[in-house]
Amino acid sequence: MTDRELFARLKILIVDDSAEMRNVLAALLESMGVGAILSAASGEKGLELFCAEAPDLIITDGSMRPMDGYELTRRVRNGECPEGNGDCHDRDVPVLMISGHVGAEMVRLARDNGVTDYIGKPITAATLYERVLAAVSKPIHIVETKAYRGPSPRRRLVPHMSIDPLSE
Amino acid sequence: MNDAQTPDVPARFLRLPSVAERKLGADFTAPVRLDPRVLDQMQDTIRELTVKYSENLKVQVGSLFSFIEPTAAGEAEARNQLYSTAHEIRGLAGTFGYPTVGRFAHSLCAYLENYKSIVSTVMRFHVEAMYDALQGRGTDDILASDTLASLDRLIALSHDGERSAG
Repeated sequence: MTDRELFARLKILIVDDSAEMRNVLAALLESMGVGAILSAASGEKGLELFCAEAPDLIITDGSMRPMDGYELTRRVRNGECPEGNGDCHDRDVPVLMISGHVGAEMVRLARDNGVTDYIGKPITAATLYERVLAAVSKPIHIVETKAYRGPSPRRRLVPHMSIDPLSE
Repeated sequence: MNDAQTPDVPARFLRLPSVAERKLGADFTAPVRLDPRVLDQMQDTIRELTVKYSENLKVQVGSLFSFIEPTAAGEAEARNQLYSTAHEIRGLAGTFGYPTVGRFAHSLCAYLENYKSIVSTVMRFHVEAMYDALQGRGTDDILASDTLASLDRLIALSHDGERSAG
């Protein structure tokens, strides 16, 4: 089984308010051989598409308005589908967040809302490929309490940086 | 049983099959390295998109100049436009081979995120640094880092005693 055969069976949802970013991500996923690519320009539309289409992976921007990627992830984990808009098929779906905010506070916020993995902008082809592959090929470890279900909120979530804008 | 009768439920830890295992069966094993053919294909895609992106980046950086004075005058719409354009540049410039432009855009975004009242000189210096980097001037890493340090000092001087909004 090659990566391409795996990717061909994937349905991936991109949520980003930047049309340019959506187009670039879609083009890169297409060149990876991803079978179905959906995209939404806002957290609200992203949640609707998630509920209607049951993607295998969500790739979301962090900061969007009015519903950002953090709230989108929390709603997915809580199974909060809009009324009459399908069903939250898989609350445990892997969520990759791509964000320009790589400070500890925002990364913690992502972790606490159930984000699976965090990628700092700008992204490179290798980072995107590597993180998508990891998200879909690693077993999903979930913690469930009365108030929370998702990846462990106590784990250490470290942003993956392709190019560190603050280094050097 | 209602909540009052429910004993404290400890956390449950679940191991669910991966997406790949669900689609391809339990004997799926994760690849140990990235497939270079897939990476090449992705790099080709980036190369194809770079020409169009470079043109767009020039337009975006040029447009930033027009938002500086209205933003400094307190116009919310201009500030939103300035921020969203810089945010887009921060997100994509590095992907398409303009990491220095992206670093200056990142610094400008951070400035706009952290301060309520903003100073036109600080914005102008950021945008000029992006413009110069785009023209191929000031793309040297050490020079870019020096410029970023200077911009930080300029921000500190311009907002001496002011608390940041963020």
